[in-house]
Amino acid sequence: MSGGGHHHREILPLLPTYDPPAELDGLGKKGLIVGFFALIATLVGGLMANDHFTQFYRSYLIGFLFVFALSAGCWSISLVHHLSRGKWGVMIRRSLEAAAANLPLVAVMFVPIVFGIHSLYEWSHTEVVAGDPILSRKAAYLNANMFILRSAFYFVSFSLLAMWIRRLSLKQDQTGDPALAPKMQKIAAGSLLFYILAMTFAAVDWVMSLTPHWFSTIYGLYFVIGQGIAGMAFTILMCKFLSKLEPLAKRFSTENFHDYGKLLFAWTLVWTYFSLSQFLIIWSGNLPEELSWFYGRIKGGWKPVSLMLVFLHFVLPFLLLLSRSRKQNITRLARVAALMLFMRLVDLIWLTAPAFSPDVLKIHWMDITAPIGLFGIWLFFYVRNLRSRSILPLHEPYLREALGHV
Amino acid sequence: MDTMDRVSEQPSPRHVIVAPGQTSVTVTEKISSLVFGKTPLWWFGAFSVSFLLLQVFLISVATLFVKGIGLWGINIPVGWGWDIINFVWWIGIGHAGTLISAILLLFRQEWRNSINRFAEAMTLFAVACAGQYPLLHLGRPQIFYWLMPYPNSSGYWPQFRSPLVWDVFAVSTYALTSLLFWYVGLIPDLGTLRDRSKNKFIAFLFGGLALGWRGSSRHWANYESAYLLLAGISTPLVLSVHTIVSFDFSIGIVPGWHTTVFPPYFVAGAVFAGFAMVMILAIPTRALFKLEAYITMRHFDNMAKVTLVTGLIVVYGYFVEVFMAWYSANDFEWFMVTNRFFGPYKYQYWLLLLCNAVIPQLLWLKRIRTNLPMLFLISLVISVGMWLERFVIIVISLSRDYMPSAWDIYHGTIWDVGTFVGTIGLFLTLMFLFLRVLPAIPMSEIKMILPEAKLKNEEAH
Repeated sequence: MSGGGHHHREILPLLPTYDPPAELDGLGKKGLIVGFFALIATLVGGLMANDHFTQFYRSYLIGFLFVFALSAGCWSISLVHHLSRGKWGVMIRRSLEAAAANLPLVAVMFVPIVFGIHSLYEWSHTEVVAGDPILSRKAAYLNANMFILRSAFYFVSFSLLAMWIRRLSLKQDQTGDPALAPKMQKIAAGSLLFYILAMTFAAVDWVMSLTPHWFSTIYGLYFVIGQGIAGMAFTILMCKFLSKLEPLAKRFSTENFHDYGKLLFAWTLVWTYFSLSQFLIIWSGNLPEELSWFYGRIKGGWKPVSLMLVFLHFVLPFLLLLSRSRKQNITRLARVAALMLFMRLVDLIWLTAPAFSPDVLKIHWMDITAPIGLFGIWLFFYVRNLRSRSILPLHEPYLREALGHV
Repeated sequence: MDTMDRVSEQPSPRHVIVAPGQTSVTVTEKISSLVFGKTPLWWFGAFSVSFLLLQVFLISVATLFVKGIGLWGINIPVGWGWDIINFVWWIGIGHAGTLISAILLLFRQEWRNSINRFAEAMTLFAVACAGQYPLLHLGRPQIFYWLMPYPNSSGYWPQFRSPLVWDVFAVSTYALTSLLFWYVGLIPDLGTLRDRSKNKFIAFLFGGLALGWRGSSRHWANYESAYLLLAGISTPLVLSVHTIVSFDFSIGIVPGWHTTVFPPYFVAGAVFAGFAMVMILAIPTRALFKLEAYITMRHFDNMAKVTLVTGLIVVYGYFVEVFMAWYSANDFEWFMVTNRFFGPYKYQYWLLLLCNAVIPQLLWLKRIRTNLPMLFLISLVISVGMWLERFVIIVISLSRDYMPSAWDIYHGTIWDVGTFVGTIGLFLTLMFLFLRVLPAIPMSEIKMILPEAKLKNEEAH
């Protein structure tokens, strides 16, 4: 049953092992080199700016949010895959796990934010809080110690949960124990629930509190879906890379790509839905305490970026992904995925940078080099994780089906 | 291909949706016998009760027309009471039908094939009930057509910025699309019924409705693409209708209404209540019509899972609302929350939390998900909980908003109750008529998921 689509591939014999292609190492090395130089450039930029690293931290925050989105997004997609026991996730499970296994690395990458807390967050200055009745009321939540404690808690719990399910997945490769799949399903249910709840607070801590008077109840879900898009877009790009190399060359079917395209499409629509809901409700309520957040973004200098989000994060991918043949062709799908990954970065800039320059459009070159730098390093470790084990889950019950054997 | 091998290799019976031993012949025999067979005794009993409740509706509405909406408990500031609560409650229930018929079709969830007809009928009847309330609430329902924009000599137009006008479009689009989807899905079965009916008049009737269906490959090809297209059109409606209903509240600035999480939270609540209603209807119908072979425990297990997930999203909504009310450091927001927990309507709020947040957590256990009496009870609890949720949102926020001098307490009157119970009568009357005169389970779609169809399909590839 194919929902009306026509899928074809030649069905290759099953193999005893699927070792990851050695060509991955080249990709990792490229990531490391580019990442290293981009980070050095950012660091030099920070030194040269002579502003006590203020701009450096602001740009670095964007980079951190970007790599965090990749790890958390891939982790959550793997959880949805385990939870739904969907055939669609079998081919990409190892890539998702490798990205999720970078969560401890991302935790290390968070450390500079702790040092930059005073450059980033107004509420971290006790004298500001004392003079601001609203911030005083929030001080039990918005204070430096609690912020660090909560962030540590997110990272420890996310990393442990991600490692737990990855370890079971590896165990499945070795033992083939049929009890592992239902066990992972249960862990996935709890992990997903925890992730969404904790991410809601993380979004408040890391980003919403940049504008500490402002609040919006859909904000956490907006981050969850943004991370899902980032994870899926990255995964599609990796599929393009892997589908050219043994052992996965010709083992992906058009149906696999179609499914990934559909997920990217659906989540892009959900992102649009959340964005529009948030905007419309706040716009029509027209309360100064809420609208102030949007004002510079829709009326001020940030208007072009807002319009860019509308057209390139929604309209264009929507139109492109409507086409079935584009979703089934990995080369064409990967182009849309690259656009989405770039637009995720734009969205993160749009979410953070106006907090420091509400009315005037100000994108620093370090806002681009910091994410590239962290992403390069992240990619190197991702490749290492991916290389350390079989590229397909060997005893996954649906592996045969996923490879076209019925 | 060796079929035995395939079955033994299968890790879980993913292809087995209907009970073993069913063939095309038994499916047609069984399901068309529901239409052509003798009317069972219980049907008369159940229909009589429903019809009696329908009379309550007629009496309530007739009295309302004579005396006006002062009969209801609404006052200033609580201008929306049971009527709008019931509107939201009914329209929400309908969403499960659309989700099952459209979204699960696009997701290739074949288990939907047993229950979609039934759930779509539920959608139609629930929308019919929901539609009554805004019209009755108008006070002058005879000029309901003023809701629609049309060129008129007075030059009056509806306020297009008001979500109440969006509602008119959303709900009427929803009703029309659901009807079309349901009817298109029925066509092959109507053809079967025409061919099997022994009475000439009935054959003529079904024949007319079947639009000349002959089951040729060209018919099937057109049918399939029309059905898929309608599913595509219906899918955004699952989101849009209740999103617009949520805008009815969130666009305003009343604390407890004006919050950005409302759209997804309302949609999840709608699906949550809707799946509970599908189970409330399916559990007795399955037993009474002996449909155990078609609506299996797997269906209930899956439906219970959807209920659990959507219920958790609703609980997330409650939680985020409370947290953000505190985090906002806004006096009015925080007052709204404490007023819910400790104000004059605290019992409704705590009961809501019990019904929607606590009791549904039983569905984590497979034991409960496959225990029909428990599922039936939990579904009833959820229906009550979702009604209370709308009560809490609408009444608590309106009765105490920004200006204490304008506060007032609201209670529904006997006429509010009468109208509500009356629409339950309307709903059940339509439902029992449907169960009697049309195939409650789609024969054609069940045949597509029989093992014999699977094997044929695979041989063809």
